[in-house]
Amino acid sequence: MTDIPDRQTSGLGFVGQRVKRVEDERFLIGEGQFVADLNPKGVLHAAFLRSPFAHATLNSIDVSTAAALPGVARVFTAAELNAVTNSFPPLFMIEGLYTPLYKCMSEDKVRHIGDPVALVLAESRYIAEDALELIEVEYHELQATGTIDQALAPGREQLWDRADGNILGDISADFGDVATIFADADRVITRTFNCPRQTNQPMETRGSVVIVDPATGHLEIHNTSQAPHFLKWAVAGLLVNDGAFRNLSRFARNKDRRKAFSAAAKAFVSTNKQKLLEQDPAGQKSQMKKDMSFLRAQARMAMGLLASNDYPTVKAGDIGGAFGSKGSVSREDIALAAAARQLGTSVQWIEDRVENLLDGGQAREERFTVSLAVDNDGTLKGMKVDAVLDGGAYASFPVSAAVTVLLWKLYMPGPYDFKAFELNAKIVATNKGKVVPYRGPWANETWMRERMLDVVAKELDISAADIRLKNVIREENMPAAFLTGPTLDETMSVAKTLDRALEMVDFDQLEQDKAAAEARGHRLGLGISSYHEAAPGPPNFFSSAQPGSDMFLHEDGRAEIQADGRIVMYTSQSPHGQSHQTTYKQVAADEFGVAMEDIEIVWGDTDRTQFSFLGTGASRGGPLGAGVMRMTARELRNQVVKVAADMLEAAKEDIEIVNGNIHVVGVPTRGTTYADVAAKVASDQAVSTGPVFKEEMKYEGVGNGGWSVATHIAWVDIDLETGQVEIPRYLVVEDCGPIINPGIVDGQVRGGVAQGIGAVFYERHHYDDNANLLSTTYMDYLIPTAMEIPKIEIEHMETLTKGENDARGVGEGGMIGAPAALTNAVSDALGVDVLEQHLPPYRLLELAGIISS
Amino acid sequence: MKNPPFNYHRPASVDEALALLTEHGDEAKVLAGGQSLLPIMALRLGRPEHVIDIGAIDELKSISVGGGITIGAMVRHAEAEKSAEVAEQTPLITAALPYVGHRAIRNRGTVVGSIAHADGAAEMPAVCLAIGATMHIASSTQTRQVAAADFFQGFFTTSIEANELLTAVHFPAQSTSAGSTVVEISRRHSDYAMCGLACMIDAPDGTIVSAALSFFGVASAAVRATEAEAALVGKAPNNETFAAAATIVSNTLAPDDDIHATAAYRRHIAGVLTRRGLAEATSQIGIRA
Ligand SMILES: Cc1cc2nc3c(=O)[nH]c(=O)nc-3n(C[C@H](O)[C@H](O)[C@H](O)COP(=O)(O)OP(=O)(O)OC[C@H]3O[C@@H](n4cnc5c(N)ncnc54)[C@H](O)[C@@H]3O)c2cc1C
Repeated sequence: MTDIPDRQTSGLGFVGQRVKRVEDERFLIGEGQFVADLNPKGVLHAAFLRSPFAHATLNSIDVSTAAALPGVARVFTAAELNAVTNSFPPLFMIEGLYTPLYKCMSEDKVRHIGDPVALVLAESRYIAEDALELIEVEYHELQATGTIDQALAPGREQLWDRADGNILGDISADFGDVATIFADADRVITRTFNCPRQTNQPMETRGSVVIVDPATGHLEIHNTSQAPHFLKWAVAGLLVNDGAFRNLSRFARNKDRRKAFSAAAKAFVSTNKQKLLEQDPAGQKSQMKKDMSFLRAQARMAMGLLASNDYPTVKAGDIGGAFGSKGSVSREDIALAAAARQLGTSVQWIEDRVENLLDGGQAREERFTVSLAVDNDGTLKGMKVDAVLDGGAYASFPVSAAVTVLLWKLYMPGPYDFKAFELNAKIVATNKGKVVPYRGPWANETWMRERMLDVVAKELDISAADIRLKNVIREENMPAAFLTGPTLDETMSVAKTLDRALEMVDFDQLEQDKAAAEARGHRLGLGISSYHEAAPGPPNFFSSAQPGSDMFLHEDGRAEIQADGRIVMYTSQSPHGQSHQTTYKQVAADEFGVAMEDIEIVWGDTDRTQFSFLGTGASRGGPLGAGVMRMTARELRNQVVKVAADMLEAAKEDIEIVNGNIHVVGVPTRGTTYADVAAKVASDQAVSTGPVFKEEMKYEGVGNGGWSVATHIAWVDIDLETGQVEIPRYLVVEDCGPIINPGIVDGQVRGGVAQGIGAVFYERHHYDDNANLLSTTYMDYLIPTAMEIPKIEIEHMETLTKGENDARGVGEGGMIGAPAALTNAVSDALGVDVLEQHLPPYRLLELAGIISS
Repeated sequence: MKNPPFNYHRPASVDEALALLTEHGDEAKVLAGGQSLLPIMALRLGRPEHVIDIGAIDELKSISVGGGITIGAMVRHAEAEKSAEVAEQTPLITAALPYVGHRAIRNRGTVVGSIAHADGAAEMPAVCLAIGATMHIASSTQTRQVAAADFFQGFFTTSIEANELLTAVHFPAQSTSAGSTVVEISRRHSDYAMCGLACMIDAPDGTIVSAALSFFGVASAAVRATEAEAALVGKAPNNETFAAAATIVSNTLAPDDDIHATAAYRRHIAGVLTRRGLAEATSQIGIRA
């Protein structure tokens, strides 16, 4: 690793440098503060009884023996907890989608292996698990649905009464004149691609510690949440222990709350007038057609929020990864909070790995039948896709699988100049764990498209490079908007990364290497893939997917200087491995002209940080999170400079700050400090603690643009005798704009590529045809280790258009690009069409025709 | 993933351990390195009422030389892996051990524990079959010796009785005219093999006089490919001979499908490993002499 230049001697700022992560020390010496480290005194330990059947009705449950076990404080049945909580209502509605309502526990019917049916609270997790074995449940097994084909088969047992044919969503979109384009093209090429299930596997599982204040009953929830504010509202809204009528009358009597509510509602409506007008009621109608009761559930949730003055405090400390799986509110989170409130005692649930594999979050089981209309010279003209997404049993809350479909709608034609595109997507219910966003939730559109480009190139006898070069959208002839709606600008620089990546390949050498591999009984192939992602995307990105949906997507900033001169920056992000603490300190330290350790970053505590619907997600931490950090820091610095200028009897334009020394340019010896300026203001205001400077702002980013792009090229070497794979070279040329910390960007890219390598060669979440989960431990769900991950070469291009805040997100891209590059390389090596994403050694030998399938 | 309650015993001598086994028999499990037993208990797939930890018994901690190598029940994989005596006397063991899990697992897990556990995918039971190891088994009333061929009885099953302890395993020294190796194919580095082979070939004067092909990962217990072994004897150790043996192996093994590999794949790579293993073993001949 290159040495970090010393800022004092180099005169450089921190931004752009490979500064070491400030998080590392505490993590490496075991001083991180994860939920399991909290262990409050006297806390009760939770264990959930989970269904051993994929699909069954519950006839009876008897918890009496379990409840009598010494050390057990309480056993709750599903019915008991469901009675004091509301259904998870769909927040997210789109035309053609139906989201079944569900409760935190399953009392009549279980819908996947691991579905929670009872909750034990005991002195230790050991005793709690002992008690689980004493609960007697009588199940009546039902036909289970384990595959997309089964879900779509007529006459299949339904998971949900109102989801006819197990179809939860049937969503279509089209752009351009599809019929004419397809009729006029030289040919239409069609293939079907399959991707099996994967699971986001963070190192730290889910967990929640609910601390009850004995005096007030206030809940303080320490949770592994990517979105603590959303969790806080969800818990407040879903815990109604008094029933609707009592809540209503409490609301009616609660004058302050009512006032506050109507003021907030007015403010919201006036700031979001335009976006509210854009809202399309079709989604609500779709849901209503299937199930009116969601209105009641929404009303109950709202009532839950309005009836109570005491919302829980949610705190997210250090989090050991999530990859999207901790953005949703877990059923367990609600059950646990309800149990704590019922008992008046602190409780905790630290999910174990088996539970996490059962229902911690799963993804990517999708099928695509794609037809490309092309001309014989390789011009891409039209794309038609029939897609099916295996949605599992319960919709994750609030971001469900439907969001993936919406993003497909925008991304599928990729960075290429298609003239027409049509998508018909179905979401089917199966008896499997819940589907959550997983690092680049839409990513299979890139896999499917980039794989299909190679299929087409082969059929037209042109090279994989040429078909991309011919069709990629270039800056010179860039349209104002993609065919699918979002606007674009020079940050959509896929062509630049493609050109550069191809420049870095010696194709003559490749031919020699292929021959040498063949001589050893191996096959070598090269695969290319390119993609663009909204990180955060242009202002019309989310509204192109769903009108008005960007209403909650601004990033609020807040910063203070305390009376003692400490600089405290608040973020509504909830970092879980992305190194926000380091990058935000870099950005803020440069603005303030101080050392990184002079900046305190506060995150994850809903009592202290500003509201955010999303928390950390959707590649926003760099562009919006760091962007608002910079702007609030700058405002605050200016406030300080104004006071300092008075103190120094100078004009504020003449003030500079170097290493914390606030002085007139050229006169560093007569300077002052943040501490002195803060002390002066504090004494003027006659205060001794608390903030003396404050700044708050809403931030929506730099405007148009915001695309993050890359081209990946993979070399894959396959031993034709054994199917074992090596990746002799892996190249990423990426453009996420100006880089705040190259070390961290490299780490994000490498981690994403590693998960892509996992998806293709190692990771498959394996359910059998009866929806039994076979990969329930790490003996069977194989995550690649350092031994399986090759050196990954990364080349950065930093297209800068909007100035200093033009950083774009980079966390998801590695995972988006890798599966296509790798499967394309396999296809090139073996000379066959690869139509599936997961390729273990046996499958490679089947594809090579060496063994029979 | 927390184990059910159990009574923990930590005897200081073999006699004490045997007395405990006599007393608790079926309700007890011996704890050696714990690398297999503890995960099984945490997943509640096994629930012994008594756990008898033999980790404090010094008499079980030695590797001794004499007509080969005898490895005591508390010798860790890592110790045997780096032992010069083991490498000298029984190079097949030295070849096998680096494949057993990761370094951290080998630092705690024991060679004899792995043999007692009798996982059909594990390396050491196959090595025992290939070399013809002898099991030293004791109870409070008797000690007995069992040949490896009689010891392994199928899926995680051996001839150790509930009141018995496997105190040591004896491995005869490898013939000076023999060569041996372990080859295997696993999904990831250090995973249990989808198919593996412990093989030995003895060819004093350019003719094979004996061969052992001991497979793991292809059946409920380690298996010798006896037909292929017989076909090797009397032949010259060359690629043609090995290819013929490989064909027999692929045709005679009857592995199962699982989520990591199909039966057809396992049969295929068993043949590949036969060729590779025999060639590598042949190249080892004379290296130690
Ligand atoms: C992640 C992981 C990967 C692994 N990979 C491999 C691998 O690739 N190959 C491989 O071979 N192994 C592998 N193992 C298993 C490891 O080698 C174990 O160490 C071994 O299987 C058992 O040895 P142990 O000393 O840990 O035995 P324990 O776990 O203590 O005991 C295992 C069983 O043997 C019995 N037992 C142990 N000693 C005796 C004795 N002296 N007399 C009677 N019964 C006894 C116990 O009662 C128990 O039933 C892996 C383990 C892990 C956790």
